[in-house]
Amino acid sequence: MTLTTDPAATPATDVVLRVAGLTKRFGATLALDRADLELRPGTVHALVGGNGCGKSTTIKVLAGVHRADAGRIEVAGHAWDAGHYDAKAGRAAGLRFVHQDLGLFPELSVAENFALDAGYPTGPARRVRWGALQRRVAQLLAAYEIEADPRTPVAALRPAQRTLVAICRALQDQEADGQLVLVLDEPTATLPQHESQVLLDAVRRRADNGQTVLMVSHRMPEVLAVCDDFTVFRDGRTVAALVGQRPTERELVGHMTGTALAATVVGGMAPGALDGAPVPPDVQPPAADGDVVLAVRDLEGGPLRGVDLEVRRGEVVGVAGLVGSGRSSLLRTVFGEHAPASGTVAVRDAAGALSTTGDVRTRMDAGVAFVPEDRAGEAAFAELTIRDNLTAPVLRRYWRPWGMDRRRERADAADLVARYGVRTPSTDAPLASLSGGNQQKVVLARWLQRRPTLLLLDEPTQGVDVMSRADIYRTVREAAAGGCAVLVASSDLLELSTLCDRVVVLQDGRVTAEATGAQLTPDSLTALTQSSAGAPAEHPAPSGAPR
Amino acid sequence: MSVTDTPPLHSPGAGDAAPDDRTAPPPTPTSAAHGGAGGLFERHALLLLLVAVAVFFSVLPASADVFPTQENLSVLLGDRATVALLALSVILPLVCGYFDFSLGAIAAASSVLTAGLMSFHDLPLGLAMTAGIGVGVLVGAVNGLLVTRFGLNSFVTTLGMATLLGGLVQWYTGGQTILVGLDPRLAEFGSTTLLGIPQVVYVVAVVAALLWYLLTQTPFGRSLYAVGSNPRSAALVGIRVQRSVWTTFVLAGGIAGLCGVLSLARAGSATADPGTGLLFPALAAAFLGATAVRPGFFNVVGTMIGVLFVSVSVSGLTLAGADTWASPVFNGAALLVAVGLSAYLGRSRGIRTV
Repeated sequence: MTLTTDPAATPATDVVLRVAGLTKRFGATLALDRADLELRPGTVHALVGGNGCGKSTTIKVLAGVHRADAGRIEVAGHAWDAGHYDAKAGRAAGLRFVHQDLGLFPELSVAENFALDAGYPTGPARRVRWGALQRRVAQLLAAYEIEADPRTPVAALRPAQRTLVAICRALQDQEADGQLVLVLDEPTATLPQHESQVLLDAVRRRADNGQTVLMVSHRMPEVLAVCDDFTVFRDGRTVAALVGQRPTERELVGHMTGTALAATVVGGMAPGALDGAPVPPDVQPPAADGDVVLAVRDLEGGPLRGVDLEVRRGEVVGVAGLVGSGRSSLLRTVFGEHAPASGTVAVRDAAGALSTTGDVRTRMDAGVAFVPEDRAGEAAFAELTIRDNLTAPVLRRYWRPWGMDRRRERADAADLVARYGVRTPSTDAPLASLSGGNQQKVVLARWLQRRPTLLLLDEPTQGVDVMSRADIYRTVREAAAGGCAVLVASSDLLELSTLCDRVVVLQDGRVTAEATGAQLTPDSLTALTQSSAGAPAEHPAPSGAPR
Repeated sequence: MSVTDTPPLHSPGAGDAAPDDRTAPPPTPTSAAHGGAGGLFERHALLLLLVAVAVFFSVLPASADVFPTQENLSVLLGDRATVALLALSVILPLVCGYFDFSLGAIAAASSVLTAGLMSFHDLPLGLAMTAGIGVGVLVGAVNGLLVTRFGLNSFVTTLGMATLLGGLVQWYTGGQTILVGLDPRLAEFGSTTLLGIPQVVYVVAVVAALLWYLLTQTPFGRSLYAVGSNPRSAALVGIRVQRSVWTTFVLAGGIAGLCGVLSLARAGSATADPGTGLLFPALAAAFLGATAVRPGFFNVVGTMIGVLFVSVSVSGLTLAGADTWASPVFNGAALLVAVGLSAYLGRSRGIRTV
């Protein structure tokens, strides 16, 4: 491990982006504390760290969203006092950003998305020269190996292609402006695994052609596969700068957590799981003869074409499958959001009674809980307080004829926040003030306080940092140990193999394989999900209309 | 105001931070306390402003001998009771994130119908009032249905409804003011005071109290705020979103209908009026109210403070001899400043995602 705290210690040559002593304070929180970062040209550089380590703040400072309190920023030979650096300066020096929300206009064509960024080519009387625009965009797309027609609306592209279009758009004036530095903020956070792979391959190819890339990501296997250099932040400081090395995942996580804590985190995630070697979670395996809590028979509707599935008390069952295989639809149908076209979904409640039909409310009454994939869009009440977010599904508990029992509400919320390790100064803070991982803990706590008999999790750790992820895994295993049946849909096969007792593989709306015990490895799950001869189904029709 | 929902200045207890101390530097207690103090000021800024304006006009020589008198306050409260009631109806759909522009027209239609049924058809007062309020409920139900079941834009839908109702009012009255044949008990109720306060004000107070209870002290009301925040999330925590939104339109229509009856009682006659004169001050009060007590959210107590603030200012300005154009200019400016300020404070509240 090379620890560079003094930028002068490394040779000054051959650095295309240098950040030195960057400090940024938000109120009483020191988000960045003399952080350093150096990029070699033509490399993919990973900026990693846990929640609130300051990596997003660094990106925002570089993008000119925040102004740093102190430090220096050098881009391609130009140097600024961080206090005088702004978005314009960074752009002029050649920094280009692609944020997690790509900033594309989905309804508009690919060509127009390019033109809105760089300007429309115009002829006499300011007429848009559509032909010229389309030819130029077609050339750029070809150069970036993006298989898309300039006239296609962006919304019609696959997720990875959309990200590539955003990248291509950001770099479109590369020839005119000389060497650019591409900054990718969590480019794969919302992509399913195979889409991530497509994107990362493309990024790697750009780097091999000399493109410099700075990438922020939570997904360790991905950065390990694609990046040359690594900078690790912790508590706003640079704790490690690994240049041209091949660290292991355990090493990186060790830096992120500090060595003392690494053991507990890795322990919580099943020792060795981070290195890819499967070890069953250190929680008691469930009694295989527990009651069947969920029985799905011949379920059809939307992308589902006859799913059979059973989940028992205390069991964590994973659902693997490519996009379009029906993972999310299965969970949503079980939760009663969609009515099935045919087949049955039987859920056993805590009292042992079976219910076969129902909408969301009746499913909830039967003890079903659902954590959706899209946290911001479908789970969060961003501007409401953490307490409001927690009590949303249990409001009736607190009603008395003279009003809501706020004292109990507060006490329960404080309890939940403490029990599930949500980091916040107050339960009266708006949910939006929390990081993604902590928001997800709030969403989980919201459901677990109802003591569900069946917990449905869709991509439970998407956009969640490594440490919160370990907390969430532990929470889910504890719920299972307490008798809850858990069904997890995820595109992260490492997650499924770490968390689950059993994984079913969905393909084209059917369960085609099941893995248990020694088969529960990312590799064998990859093999099972990809094994079908047929091409994976296209993205499903909008899932609101199952009939 | 003991009724406000005032979160305590809550410093992080040991329980909050203990189980997980391996991620970001914890937000320190000082930051929470700081935000709390700023929030405390923000919550009560409008109330302080109201007091300041009242004191100002009580000592200003031009208005000092009339403004702080009981007669003036009584007139002031009585005259603004209808705006207050309409403002209460306006916040219901707004809490869920929907506009209802037809509420002013509903009040006008209710007023005209109540008067017309007594004047043209000799119906008894009770029945006429019921019909007036009933038409409000009915129009609200139609609005709600169009907005929820058919997914129409509430802005456009209720604008259309307002225009339509305005036309129907013109047709029903023939453009005339309905003056004769009204039950005298109604006008008497509207012009008498109880304990020095106009009786209509008690109606507003009762409705405000009920609505406050509904919005803050029942699971239904609390879930409305969840719907307003994120309807998708609300549906996935088991809130029946469409039904809730529909209910707010119905309730708002009913309150607007009551507002029409009240304005008839106050004025003693029903004018063929599209109701916008009532709606805009009500909307202004609602938005002013959303900057106070529970900043960022429409709330009953804030709305009432908003109504009082505008009324007191306008009354003071009038008594001080300002021209008629001064009050709308003042109202508009106050609204712009309040909304602008609350947006600015909201931005600087330091919400950030890492």
